[in-house]
Amino acid sequence: MNTNKPGLSVVIPVTERVDDPKLLFGEYRKALDALDISYEMIFVIDGEFQDFRQGVEVLAAEHSNLSIIQLGKAFGESTALSAGFDRARASMILTLPAYLQCEPQELGKLFDKIESADMVLARRWPRVDSAALQSRTRLFNRLVALMTAETFDDLGCSVRLIRRAVVDDVPIYGDQHRFMPILAARRGFRIEQVDLTQSRHDSVRKKPPLGAYPRRLLDLLTVFFLVKFTKKPLRFFGLLGTATMAVGLIGLLVVVLQRVLFELPLADRPALLLSSLLVVLGVQLLAIGLVGEIVIFTHAKDMKEYTIKEIVGNHSTVAD
Amino acid sequence: MLVSIVVPLYNEAESIRLLHASIVEAVADAGWDFEIIFVDDGSSDKTFEIAKALAAEDRHLTVIRFRRNFGQTPAMAAGIDHARGDILVTMDGDLQNDPRDIPVLVAAVADGNDLAVGWRHNRQDKLLTRKIPSKIANWLIGKVTGVPIKDNGCSLKAYRRDVIQSVPFYSEMHRFIPAMTSLSGARVAEIKVRHHARKFGESKYGLSRIYKVLMDLLTIKMLVTFGSRPLRWFAVLALLPAVLGATFFVYSIAVAAFSATSTVSIGGSGLLLLSLALFLLMTGALCELIYRSGDIDLNRLAQVAASTRSTREVCSVAGPDQLD
Repeated sequence: MNTNKPGLSVVIPVTERVDDPKLLFGEYRKALDALDISYEMIFVIDGEFQDFRQGVEVLAAEHSNLSIIQLGKAFGESTALSAGFDRARASMILTLPAYLQCEPQELGKLFDKIESADMVLARRWPRVDSAALQSRTRLFNRLVALMTAETFDDLGCSVRLIRRAVVDDVPIYGDQHRFMPILAARRGFRIEQVDLTQSRHDSVRKKPPLGAYPRRLLDLLTVFFLVKFTKKPLRFFGLLGTATMAVGLIGLLVVVLQRVLFELPLADRPALLLSSLLVVLGVQLLAIGLVGEIVIFTHAKDMKEYTIKEIVGNHSTVAD
Repeated sequence: MLVSIVVPLYNEAESIRLLHASIVEAVADAGWDFEIIFVDDGSSDKTFEIAKALAAEDRHLTVIRFRRNFGQTPAMAAGIDHARGDILVTMDGDLQNDPRDIPVLVAAVADGNDLAVGWRHNRQDKLLTRKIPSKIANWLIGKVTGVPIKDNGCSLKAYRRDVIQSVPFYSEMHRFIPAMTSLSGARVAEIKVRHHARKFGESKYGLSRIYKVLMDLLTIKMLVTFGSRPLRWFAVLALLPAVLGATFFVYSIAVAAFSATSTVSIGGSGLLLLSLALFLLMTGALCELIYRSGDIDLNRLAQVAASTRSTREVCSVAGPDQLD
């Protein structure tokens, strides 16, 4: 391995889908060598990929700028990425999938945009996928845009060029690597998009397992909460809770008034049960919001709400 | 003595030079050393460029630039995090506060108060959208917390360093800092300050804050009433559903035993209320756990305040009567 710092760290998480390591490395190497930048390549192998690992080990013996991280078990792509980021030495990080998603020779386009941005995302365009797959991508990204108010066209593409500062400031876990641009944008980093031609290899893919969709939706929900209500949970739960409670209380008022004014019996009315259920639910939602507030209050000192771009003036002479 | 003056700025390119000049003029002869911290809250205009130019000429000035717009409280929090003074002053960047009031506030803190709060007694804002909501909010905050401070929303405040740095300063909590600190034993002085109509730009708040303030109030009420004993607070909350639920349930059984009427609904409601009581108790227990794992509690804040005195007192210090 080289001892002097490379200009670029390429992190390749090996999860779920893989191409032949030799073909993959050859293609990426050709593209990166053309960029005239010193780089290191880190393969993070997430779980059991015997064949792939052997293939990479053979390559690592020949190329000194290639390293391998083997995770103990399959932790998921976000963890694999984090492990790669921890190991990366360069101030610029390029993440690439372990299969050819975009045409590698177009990678240079990412570097053209990084000058004015902290993170550059690739968008697979033009795409060779079927219309069904394309509309699925569109639907997913629309949904994300709707829920988080941040618009990106292709969060499913893992080709991303990222500055070190972003990686250090935005922790990712679970399946959140997909939403990393959103979290980064919320922290004030500038994000750009470029179009890269989709590779022919990308379109011949297996259908994702059915379980992947609910998982993805749950992750979306997590990101939604992270983005909207982390600082003030009671404002969200309070709205839900007071609305539920109000409906319940009106229901109670109606049945009680009917008992008092029209002598309708109260004790055996299902409406009474429903109304009390709504009141109880409302109080529970409010209580959960309050728990959230206590969490935030007691940990507020650890959570910086802001990110600083630069400091000028007499502070800059003092080491902070 | 070093005083840090923290000013959040958001698109204040027109007023920043004037602001800087008037702060320097106001505090130059005050008899203490000072630093000014401008926090540029992701402005889209020339605010940062102008501030940077000013900082190059003035060694008192530090400019912190945010990556994007995060809001006024985070901007103040950043300034406070980077301040090195013994006394910290916060103020608005829109020239509605008058820097000439800074020495008065600082003097009040130097005299032994933990906190000096500006009171815009002659406020120059729109009546309907600003002054009336603010009156209601202040009245509510006073009622709920039991600390009648006339103007919680005024940004012009001076703090003793250790007091402000032990208070969680996040979201829109700055409004409740006087109430929170004085409940935990800090001594708060209210000082009449000047207030000017806006010269430049648009006012950046509106009516929509009422719901937010209400929800924040509920939080504060919970936080201050029982301090670090949330289980007690939730136990008190659980009392009403527990009593109601037990009554309903016993009543339904009694009626069912002595007559033929069906009482399923009322018995069921009773059980629901009992389960709610249990849920609230468990929630309280969970909160206790969170408190233990967290690193802030109001008791510690009280200790900070008590280290300088033993009695709690809210006193009013008269400000300059003849203003402008």
